[in-house]
Amino acid sequence: MIEVKSITKTYGKKQNAFTALSDTTFTIPDGASVAILGKSGSGKSTLMHAMSGLDRPETGEVIINGQDILKLKPKQIDEFRSRQMSFIFQSFFVQANESCYDNVSLPLEIANMPIGKRHQKINEALSAVELLDKKMSRARDLSGGQKQRLAVARAIVNDPKILFADEPTGNLDSVTGGVIEDLLFGYNKSRGVTLIIVTHDPELAQKCDIQIHIKDGKVETIKTRKGVKS
Amino acid sequence: MKVRDIVRRAGRSLRQAKARTLLTSLAISVGAFTVTVALAAGAGGQAYTDSLIKNNGDARNLSVYIRNDSSKSDQPQEHGTASEANRQGLLSGSDIEKLKKINGVAQITPAYNVSAAYMTRDDSAKQYDTPLSIKADHTTLPLAAGSLNDNQVSVGGVVIPESYLGVLGFKSAGDAIGQSLIVHIEKPSLMVGGKSTEAMDKTFRIEAVDKKSSTILHYQSALRISSEDGKTIYEYQTAGMPQSDQYYSLDVQVAASADVAKVQGSIKDAGYDVFSLQDIQAALFTFINVVQYGAAGFGLLAILASVFGIINTQYISVLERTQQIGLMKALGARRKDIGRLFRYEAGWVGFLGGAIGTLLAVLTGLLNPLIAQKLNLERGTELLQFNPVTSLLLIAGLVLVAIMAGYFPARKAAKLDPIEALRTE
Ligand SMILES: Nc1ncnc2c1ncn2[C@@H]1O[C@H](COP(=O)(O)OP(=O)(O)OP(=O)(O)O)[C@@H](O)[C@H]1O
Ligand SMILES: [Mg+2]
Repeated sequence: MIEVKSITKTYGKKQNAFTALSDTTFTIPDGASVAILGKSGSGKSTLMHAMSGLDRPETGEVIINGQDILKLKPKQIDEFRSRQMSFIFQSFFVQANESCYDNVSLPLEIANMPIGKRHQKINEALSAVELLDKKMSRARDLSGGQKQRLAVARAIVNDPKILFADEPTGNLDSVTGGVIEDLLFGYNKSRGVTLIIVTHDPELAQKCDIQIHIKDGKVETIKTRKGVKS
Repeated sequence: MKVRDIVRRAGRSLRQAKARTLLTSLAISVGAFTVTVALAAGAGGQAYTDSLIKNNGDARNLSVYIRNDSSKSDQPQEHGTASEANRQGLLSGSDIEKLKKINGVAQITPAYNVSAAYMTRDDSAKQYDTPLSIKADHTTLPLAAGSLNDNQVSVGGVVIPESYLGVLGFKSAGDAIGQSLIVHIEKPSLMVGGKSTEAMDKTFRIEAVDKKSSTILHYQSALRISSEDGKTIYEYQTAGMPQSDQYYSLDVQVAASADVAKVQGSIKDAGYDVFSLQDIQAALFTFINVVQYGAAGFGLLAILASVFGIINTQYISVLERTQQIGLMKALGARRKDIGRLFRYEAGWVGFLGGAIGTLLAVLTGLLNPLIAQKLNLERGTELLQFNPVTSLLLIAGLVLVAIMAGYFPARKAAKLDPIEALRTE
């Protein structure tokens, strides 16, 4: 369970101060798929960064499985992210010069996984996104959709508990975007992973269990699909 | 992250910026090259000097003269206080006795002044003039044939120069070994310009044939005989003469267990002038060291300059890869890991530069024969001598220096805010 309690994040100082998130509170049950919706500049990305411990809001708590991650030391937060979370970004952020294999290997290296165990995990992740045949190709030679599939493989390789995706289909056409969506929801269903998607796309949001609408840094509405307990 | 993974990733990033990596490491390699060649030349120079010294004198041999120290005794001494020999500026038997008592003195051989009238193969053969030289020290003689025990001529033996072989009727140097050679010795007349009245023939066995070598600074063609034979001839030639038991100098052989400089000091304290090859050797080594360290110093300057190159390259690399750094941090990479990634990258550059520089330097070692030829040195002389241990240490040192140079860029990378880093497209 992820509990977000009255988070406030301000950018800038004094006269220039800008409140990107103010007093935001909500709860996400384990294994849910969540869409964070809102206009550009409404504070969606800021919220995602705060929930993942990448950013530190001035006030509030982010309690994951009973632990306020904002109270952890940097070293512990890094460790936590490495073991429990992963990310997919709008602009892929795959390492263009590295092979697909090495791209997917990165989270395992960061998590200090023994070399012997990595090989199988990487192969599993690559075959899950149907990129096993491109294993040794350099990421720069992939198409946009393939790059995002590679990013998905990288995100799932270390069996995260929470998967954040910031506009994962924003740079893709609707067909390719559909493939990525299917991958993400499939993974969410089959593994019970909590999926948190930041998006503009109402259609994509429809597919999620919970929709959180953000406006000007505040939670406007929270819609929960029937049959999902919140 | 495991060190192995970081090192591999660091190496891979460098391969992706080949031109930049190569250029940065070339700057270091200039320094590595200069230092390696300087050290090699120093080692070669010392080895060459060493062989030069060995072939021209014996480092355990001291030449002792009567003290001629103008600063101390430029006033005349009172008559009757000095021995007859000493008054003439010469040394005598009493000086030998005095020196023998000094600790570490193994053997004293006076510089006997002897001469031969002529040499011949047998009585009926042609007679040839020759200087007679006493080999008192253990200087290495380059030999064309035969052998010497401990570089000393045995009693009754003689070493002849290679250049004598022809006139003495030997076909080769080996031919002469074991053959006998008659030396005619005359006792000089007491009267100035007078004809000598007494003479003797002494038969020597040819023990070895020596030859000229480029490492011998002054080579004299002469018959070389033992100190004992020299003494016999000297005593024969000076018996009854006023200058008997008077020597211009004494050769003191220092015992193998004793310290040459110490013995030299004791003899000096006893009131003599002493010279040793070690003095010259030390002076030459100092000179070589100064030149070597000078050159190596320039190399170190080049390395220092290249450090700024590394820092600059690494800063650019950090800027180029902010996105990668952001991603790694988002995935939970520690600051320590990111810092290491960039420091090891710098370390790779240092390794590459060191390896290239050292390799190029070692390749100049191929010029050794050419250098020897140009400088007219003995064939096979290597003026550039490389030491693998030094080279490895140098490369390791450069890796360390490079890692230290990478410190600031690495710190910048480690401090990057992941959110900022992920915003950059
Ligand atoms: N480092 C920063 N300094 C100042 N203001 C910032 C900073 N980062 C974000 N903001 C502001 O905070 C607000 C929320 O930004 P955020 O990136 O969360 O928006 P978003 O909802 O993700 O928008 P988009 O859909 O365009 O990605 C914006 O108005 C933005 O200008
Ligand atoms: Mg955003």
